[in-house]
Amino acid sequence: MTEKKPEPRKGHFLDLKIPLGGLLGFYGAALVLYGLLSGKEIYGRSQGININLIWGVFILAVGLALLLAVWLKRSARDDGKG
Amino acid sequence: MAPVISLQLIDYAIIAGYILVMVIVGYSLRKYMRTGEDFFLAGRSLPGWITGLAFLSANLGALEVIGMVANSAKYGIITVHFYWIGAIPAMIFLGIFMMPFYYGSKVRTVPEYLKLRYNEATRGLNAISFAVMTVLMSGVSLYAMALLFKLMLGWSLTASILFAAVVVLLYVFWGGLSSSIYNEVIQFFLIWLGLLPVVFLGLKSAGGFAGLARKLPEAFFHAWKNLGSSAESPLGVSWLGVVFGLGFVLSFGYWTTDFLVVQRALASKNLTAARTTPILAAFPKILIPILVVIPGLVAVAVLPEFSRTAPPGAEYNSALILMMSRFLPNGVLGLAITALLASFMSGMAGNVTAFNTVWTYDIYASYIKKGQSDGHYLKVGKVTTVAGVLISIGTAYIVKQFPNLMDFVQLIFSFFNAPLFATFLLGMFWRGATPWGGFIGLLSGIAAAAGHYILYKTGVLHYASEMGANFYQAWWAWLTDFVVTIAVSLFTAKKDPESLKGLVYGLTPLTRETAKLWLRPEVWGSLALVVMLVLNIIFW
Repeated sequence: MTEKKPEPRKGHFLDLKIPLGGLLGFYGAALVLYGLLSGKEIYGRSQGININLIWGVFILAVGLALLLAVWLKRSARDDGKG
Repeated sequence: MAPVISLQLIDYAIIAGYILVMVIVGYSLRKYMRTGEDFFLAGRSLPGWITGLAFLSANLGALEVIGMVANSAKYGIITVHFYWIGAIPAMIFLGIFMMPFYYGSKVRTVPEYLKLRYNEATRGLNAISFAVMTVLMSGVSLYAMALLFKLMLGWSLTASILFAAVVVLLYVFWGGLSSSIYNEVIQFFLIWLGLLPVVFLGLKSAGGFAGLARKLPEAFFHAWKNLGSSAESPLGVSWLGVVFGLGFVLSFGYWTTDFLVVQRALASKNLTAARTTPILAAFPKILIPILVVIPGLVAVAVLPEFSRTAPPGAEYNSALILMMSRFLPNGVLGLAITALLASFMSGMAGNVTAFNTVWTYDIYASYIKKGQSDGHYLKVGKVTTVAGVLISIGTAYIVKQFPNLMDFVQLIFSFFNAPLFATFLLGMFWRGATPWGGFIGLLSGIAAAAGHYILYKTGVLHYASEMGANFYQAWWAWLTDFVVTIAVSLFTAKKDPESLKGLVYGLTPLTRETAKLWLRPEVWGSLALVVMLVLNIIFW
């Protein structure tokens, strides 16, 4: 584990996974919440499927996976330094 | 006219989240912009997956998505030609064969390559036409966005134009090309997440693929079978036109020479990443028809506006919007709207960043003020960004007064773009092409495109459809450029071979690819071609 080389400082400016993961995490959470709170009547268009809840869970998972990847990379780098 | 779609608080929250993140990303990139290369080429520091997704998204504008859904509703699966044969071979060719010269020569722009390979005149012709067209296109798309949001949501035209322009200005001003690229990658995710619910729910309502097959004419399910001749082809173009006009000339001309897309690859951190950029983009490109073709087919099967028995004159361009309002409840609806908004904004940002780079390096630093410090050009780039956005706003209002101008700008753009691939092909792979051969060839190609257009419009030339005329126009422009460049090269002075090192095949020491076998661009490129071939056979 600790064998991983520390990331060189020269790299891309800002890890895109952070804002992307954050945005998708927010979207997922908002859709899940809205899916749980909204009444059945708005799902006539989606043929009775609570698409907000289902799709929200999926988007939340994508967002959290991106943030997790950032976190794993950082902790691997910190281990390498230590 | 009442808006087609009504939004709730949740939808506005989703739209606001996107805008907020874009502004924050731009702001946090601000402190890294120390040199010209940081601002114009993202410091040549980005990994292949980011430049690859940006490369794809730069072309995935909202108008394009809406237009291709319309095309699918009109003609069916045949629309895949714009994504498969009309894109993949060119993207692979760019990555495998051309990128070593683009990236390897360390040029910063496409016109700069022309200057090194040919001469100042060739660069000037390309740089000026590109800069003018790009900034006009930016205004055209700004207006198109405002118009769509007015019809769809009832937003005011002026408010939409100013709001989008300010957001784009802020993040491009702060982060330059990096901001543009980051926005494009975010847009890539949003397009998939925003439109997949339409695909699922639409398919379910139509009874799945089996249901679609029952409801639609058989011809809708074939990509090649009905392309025997232009008379029987639904597009009015035979397979010959599709292969040579679209697949060869138009596709290669766009994907391998348009600075808007090539700039993304130039921002990569090394040659392998640069070569991988278009190849990595090829895989999601192959899959985009899921997002555009299926909604188009479903629209014909389930929406009464487009049914086979409906009166003719259906407004196909509204197919995607009608599908969204029919199937998406508030919530995921906001996500789909945000995806379209993101496509428009990143399209405009891409145009503005390509414009400021070409203007600064190829026009300002070459003709107006040579030999200034890097800091000076960085400042010029930022001022140009502001100017570019202001010109876009002005153009948007001019187009509002004269809607025909929109087609006109696209038309002129096609004159300049069609022959360019011949100039690059000969430039990169034939050392005998001379500076004046390149310039006169390019100029003749542009003239051929314009001449062909006049002959077609005055009725001298006949085609079964506008699209057919388009494909053949590109073909003749390309051929003229190709032949004239060779002919003139035979009689004019050649460049010193020493000065062509790194720019031309055969004069460039080949850099050995050091990446592991399974990471090499050649391997992935071949795989993409095989996948494309198999899909074409399946949907024959």
